[in-house]
Amino acid sequence: MKMEIYLNRVDYMQVGVTSQKTMRLLPALGKKATQKVAIADHNGIVTCFGMKKGEAVPVFKTLPGQKIVRMDLGGTVGTPQEKIFVCCGSQVRGFTKKGKQFLTFEANLTETINAMHVSGTDLFVCASYIYNHYCDCKDQDYYLSGDKINDITCLSSENLTRLIPVLACQDRVLRVLQGSELAYEIEVPGPPSVLELYNKDEEEEILYGTTDGKIGLVQIGEHSAATKWEMDNDKKKGGILCIDTYDIIGDGVNDILVGRDDGTIEVYGFDSNSEPTLRFEHVLSESVTSIQGGCVGKESYDEVLTATYTGWVTGLTTEPQKAEAGHGDVVRMSKEIQSKVEALRTELEQLQLKVMQGREKYQQNAQSSTAVSAVPIFSINDKFTLCQDDASYSLTLEVQTAIDHLLLQSDVPIDLLDVDKNSAVVSFSECDSEQPNGNFLLATYRCQANTTRLELKVRSIEGQYGTLQAYITPRLQPKTCQVRQYQIKPLSLHQRTHSIDQDRPMNRLSLVGQFSFAEIHSWVVFCLPEVPEKTPAGDCITFCFQNTFLGTQLESTYCKGEVHFRSDNISTISILSDVLSKEATKKKINLNISYDINDNSVSHTLKMIHPKLEYQLLLARKVQLIDALKELQVHEGNADFLIPEYRSILDESANLLEEYKKQPAHLERLYGMITDLFIDKFKFKGQNVKAKVSSLLEILDNYDLNSLLEFFCEA
Amino acid sequence: MLVPIFNLKLNQKINPRMMTIGKFDGVHPCLTAATQAGKVFIHNPHTRAQRPVAHRLSQSAQDSDISLLNINQAVTCLTAGTLGPNTTGDTLLVGSQTNLLAYDVHDNADVFYREVTDGANAIVLGKLGDISNPLAIIGGNCALQGFDYEGNDHFWTVTGDNVRSLMLCDFTGDGKNELLVGSEDFDIRVFREDELVSEMTENETVTSLCHMHGSRFGYALANGTVGVYDRTARYWRIKSKNHAMSIHAFDLNADGVVELITGWSNGKIDARSDHTGEVIFKDNLSSSVAGVVEGDYRLDGQKQLICASIEGEVRGYLPASKDLKGNLMDSSAEQNLIRELSQRRQNLLLELHNYEEHAEGVSETNSRMGVIPANTQLQIALSVRPATEAQKAHVELCISTPNETIIRAVLIFAEGIFEGESHVVHPSSQNLSGCVRVPIVPPKDIPVDLHIKAFVGGKTSTQFHVFEITRQLPRFSMYDITVDSSAAPPSGKVTFSINDRPQRVVMWLNQNFLLPEGVSSPDVSFTSLRGRGMLSISMASNGQITLRTDDIDLAGDLVQSLAIFLAIEDLSAEADFPGYFEELRTTLTEVDELHSVHQKLTASMADHSNYIRNMLVQAEDARLMGDMTMMKKRYRELYDLNRDLINEYKIRSNNHNALLACLKSVNQAIQRAGRLRVGKPKNQVISACRDAIKSNNLNALFRIMRAGTASS
Repeated sequence: MKMEIYLNRVDYMQVGVTSQKTMRLLPALGKKATQKVAIADHNGIVTCFGMKKGEAVPVFKTLPGQKIVRMDLGGTVGTPQEKIFVCCGSQVRGFTKKGKQFLTFEANLTETINAMHVSGTDLFVCASYIYNHYCDCKDQDYYLSGDKINDITCLSSENLTRLIPVLACQDRVLRVLQGSELAYEIEVPGPPSVLELYNKDEEEEILYGTTDGKIGLVQIGEHSAATKWEMDNDKKKGGILCIDTYDIIGDGVNDILVGRDDGTIEVYGFDSNSEPTLRFEHVLSESVTSIQGGCVGKESYDEVLTATYTGWVTGLTTEPQKAEAGHGDVVRMSKEIQSKVEALRTELEQLQLKVMQGREKYQQNAQSSTAVSAVPIFSINDKFTLCQDDASYSLTLEVQTAIDHLLLQSDVPIDLLDVDKNSAVVSFSECDSEQPNGNFLLATYRCQANTTRLELKVRSIEGQYGTLQAYITPRLQPKTCQVRQYQIKPLSLHQRTHSIDQDRPMNRLSLVGQFSFAEIHSWVVFCLPEVPEKTPAGDCITFCFQNTFLGTQLESTYCKGEVHFRSDNISTISILSDVLSKEATKKKINLNISYDINDNSVSHTLKMIHPKLEYQLLLARKVQLIDALKELQVHEGNADFLIPEYRSILDESANLLEEYKKQPAHLERLYGMITDLFIDKFKFKGQNVKAKVSSLLEILDNYDLNSLLEFFCEA
Repeated sequence: MLVPIFNLKLNQKINPRMMTIGKFDGVHPCLTAATQAGKVFIHNPHTRAQRPVAHRLSQSAQDSDISLLNINQAVTCLTAGTLGPNTTGDTLLVGSQTNLLAYDVHDNADVFYREVTDGANAIVLGKLGDISNPLAIIGGNCALQGFDYEGNDHFWTVTGDNVRSLMLCDFTGDGKNELLVGSEDFDIRVFREDELVSEMTENETVTSLCHMHGSRFGYALANGTVGVYDRTARYWRIKSKNHAMSIHAFDLNADGVVELITGWSNGKIDARSDHTGEVIFKDNLSSSVAGVVEGDYRLDGQKQLICASIEGEVRGYLPASKDLKGNLMDSSAEQNLIRELSQRRQNLLLELHNYEEHAEGVSETNSRMGVIPANTQLQIALSVRPATEAQKAHVELCISTPNETIIRAVLIFAEGIFEGESHVVHPSSQNLSGCVRVPIVPPKDIPVDLHIKAFVGGKTSTQFHVFEITRQLPRFSMYDITVDSSAAPPSGKVTFSINDRPQRVVMWLNQNFLLPEGVSSPDVSFTSLRGRGMLSISMASNGQITLRTDDIDLAGDLVQSLAIFLAIEDLSAEADFPGYFEELRTTLTEVDELHSVHQKLTASMADHSNYIRNMLVQAEDARLMGDMTMMKKRYRELYDLNRDLINEYKIRSNNHNALLACLKSVNQAIQRAGRLRVGKPKNQVISACRDAIKSNNLNALFRIMRAGTASS
């Protein structure tokens, strides 16, 4: 049996723009009392407030300062964890629950801190690649990670002999440390963005969330770990930004609360068989940066408290909405709200006056011939990620205030796909892809009022590389726009994996020359996504990749003066060889290029494409028939006279159409890749077969694997 | 929150915009819509008794509430309502590309079946002007035609382009209905019977029109715009990336005023306030909306709003009850109000913050911040550029900064002159400068507001100042005043007299043409940048104006524009366009030829069908007799015959399309001849031309087009 829960949304207050994990609930004082909320924003302000009769009553508010990126609670072990720690820049600050600052700790890192964990007297901080552990503000351990650290947590339990810090790293691993050393790594299915302890009493299990929206639970031991469960992101919801555990359903088992970057808030409960199942979902219009279960609005009503990117603190409460309670209550609530609205209106009027003065001054300034005009940078939260399922990039942009319009410009051929939930009106402008301007895409998005978040999908072609630029103009006076750049890399559809299948027939590309380790690393970064910017430690490094569209693989191993690429896809090798020789020529470095081409790899790749191609062709054929069959059905009054195959098409028509819609241009992309494969195979033999492409396309139109294989052999 | 009161799955596809409700027995409303395979279905859940199966009507095998009507042609429009004077129930009217059928569903009999050569893209039923009987008015290729219950056409006129939407309402407030026509040339025209009284120009094909109340009406365009007009003034409009499939006026919040209900291509339904366009209710169907209608479908005396999707999903909504207080959305209005106010506060705070930071001064000259001199102002100039070897003729918009700052990109939002709604110029980083030249080629002679946004900053800036400026592109901007003297003078001309000073004409010239220095005399000559030759305008001292051009459309546009500027109500003119008239003469002979081919083909098709019937009987006979060789032979012959028939069909279809194109250009010619005049003379020309075509008197036709009247 499934228990249903209904949660009602209540907005409490708004602060400045917030980062991930910057809001916490302070422990309740009595058994039934409401909890205070502490939240920190990009203006550097820590705000602590409680709710009294529907009004947010501040406990304290600090002065503005540097942008705060994390918050954690701490305190002496065994006492309530009610000291507030925040990090900004390379500093960690501590406040008591009354707002008195008792700690200012300079971590002395060259970079800014972006993740932090506090446990008793132990403080763990991470900058992009660096991990540092302090005890009583004294340096303890240090670790340099191979890729960016997104989050940190630390296990301490009676069963464990020591504290076990765990790092969530961008290269799809959780790194478990022992002192300054790596104890072991745990591979996870996506780049982990957040870590949370599962059960606060027996702290041996960790929940992780990934940037591509997956969630999992791992049990951490001192020397090894075990994955308990993993949850896929079938519905293609946003990436995970925050997780908490709390028994909001009230069945005695902690539920999982999840906040995502597309505004989704979810509550997962557990069945008898301990599998997490979705129990509640609510969608806000912007990223959910923090989430926690507790009691804030009214005594004895549990709620899920969230903070969003633009600083809204919102509760989803079990308290029934008063409007439904009866007519008497409606009047009372209106009064409360009325006073709130009036207060807001007066404040707005005063602000309006101030703004008018500001505008006037600004206008006067514009008369002066010596003055300059510069407008402070507004904050943009952007994410450009490759989606594994459909091998396309998703670009999300979020601004603290409403977006007026967006200009997208690209100097490489890319396709811009429609996203259903976007309401913005898109318009494509004519491009002059020829010199001098070299634009391949110019598109404007004119947003509807109150759009603070935009999601776009972009499909790239491997081998074509360049830059996609987004100019974002918010509805804010004086009007300004900011440009963001996104690299479309030569092997844009590749994604990092942990290992590759060595049994496949492989082609090899080796380059030998006078280049440094840093140089060759920068070339690999240039060619492939998801490679850390920083040159790795050590002399030699191996990265593995998978083509998200075809499933072919690539392994790159390099050190100073030498690099080897191995791939079962000959086109991948061809692209790398083209790009790298071009880069080397630019830097005037002599390269000695050698190939080891395995002819079997081509038919291997074709066989890998085969099921996809066959499926798509069949799907296309079925979809083509649907309308005609439906018409026949209407004509005859029923479908009994049709052969079973056709009847089944009619029965499944809705699914077929949906599947077909999900993968636009899939067939064309497959054709394009087979054509590339064909050209590349013979390029390595020194033959130009572009003239034969039309006969290849003919074969593809009447597709049969054997005749295709034959054509590849004969040509 | 408002929820649907009924939900139906009809299991029938519904063609978009072809749905209506009719009380065919005078009592029970039935949802009626066109579906696949040239059929119309009638959903009647009220009387479940068996109905006789005969003539066109047959019961659906899947659903006993649904009857199917066989039209055997692709349906293009349908409606239902009272047509005849003594009928109890509503008459169903179904239009196709070639025919109009009026059908009595209750008696299961045709009322009339007429061939309509111009096709029926849209249909409306009701009273028009002083015509005593209700008319079924259809809009086809540039033509409007109205039939009474006997199938006689009482109304005919032409319009500028293919008609896509029709509506009847009392637009002028004279107590009689006018006809509103939306067409593919982006115009909404208002006809008082066959007299054109108003014309509103939009920026896309007008796909739907609906009457709201009084002289207020809603409209929808093919580019996703919906809005409301009051008479000729647009009240509001919004644009969505989805397409508006159907619009309807319905008072959903029970406040006594109808809202504009829109059904969208993504399945969304929204209700918008008639005076602000604010959304007061929305819901979603699982697929594109096909139609929105209203009717008392539960027979309880209350009208419901009924929305249907193309997959046959139907939802009905009752107007909101009083306790909802007009609040039909799910989250409470108070919460939304607070959220909105807080958002406004946040915006003001941000703006204030911007000014404060600005006042503190920019200490670091960080070029990435996009620091520019505070007195930077953009200079904008429009000029006409004749064709060169490298570039086509165009209007040049030149935007420049007065100092060392650069323009990173220019966005121009304008309607109707670009492929989308915007045009972008984004120079590569090597070609950045303080000046951007944008070539603009307006495809039509319409005045356009250019909303220009220019991103100004330094070469390496990542943040730019956005300058927003609006400029108007005059109506006749694609005409260059410098004239190549060697070019042959145009042979076409139109002459008319006005009672106004030449200075007023000069004013009109300066406002409507792109003239760098302006002109002081009304005698000027231009070269068309679209390669349509010369245009010369001259005015004699007696107020006679002569426009010389070979482009009859341009002449019409000039006459209309000048008449509006000088507020002339009636204007007759003499015209001669030898080139165009010759073309028209050829087209008219072509029409005759195509007509005769059409008749021949129809006869031979009938022969073939008979032959097929015989062949089939023979083949089946042979099979029953066990004569397999004969059967095979017959079937092979049948196959060949079938192939011939298909080929013939293709010929017929090509012939038909050619005929349609010709008829369209004939209708357009009448419209063009009309546009050279204003007011009464215009209507006289149109009706006289039509009579001339009806009586096949070509000489009279050309005489009317030239002189403006038949008699001379």
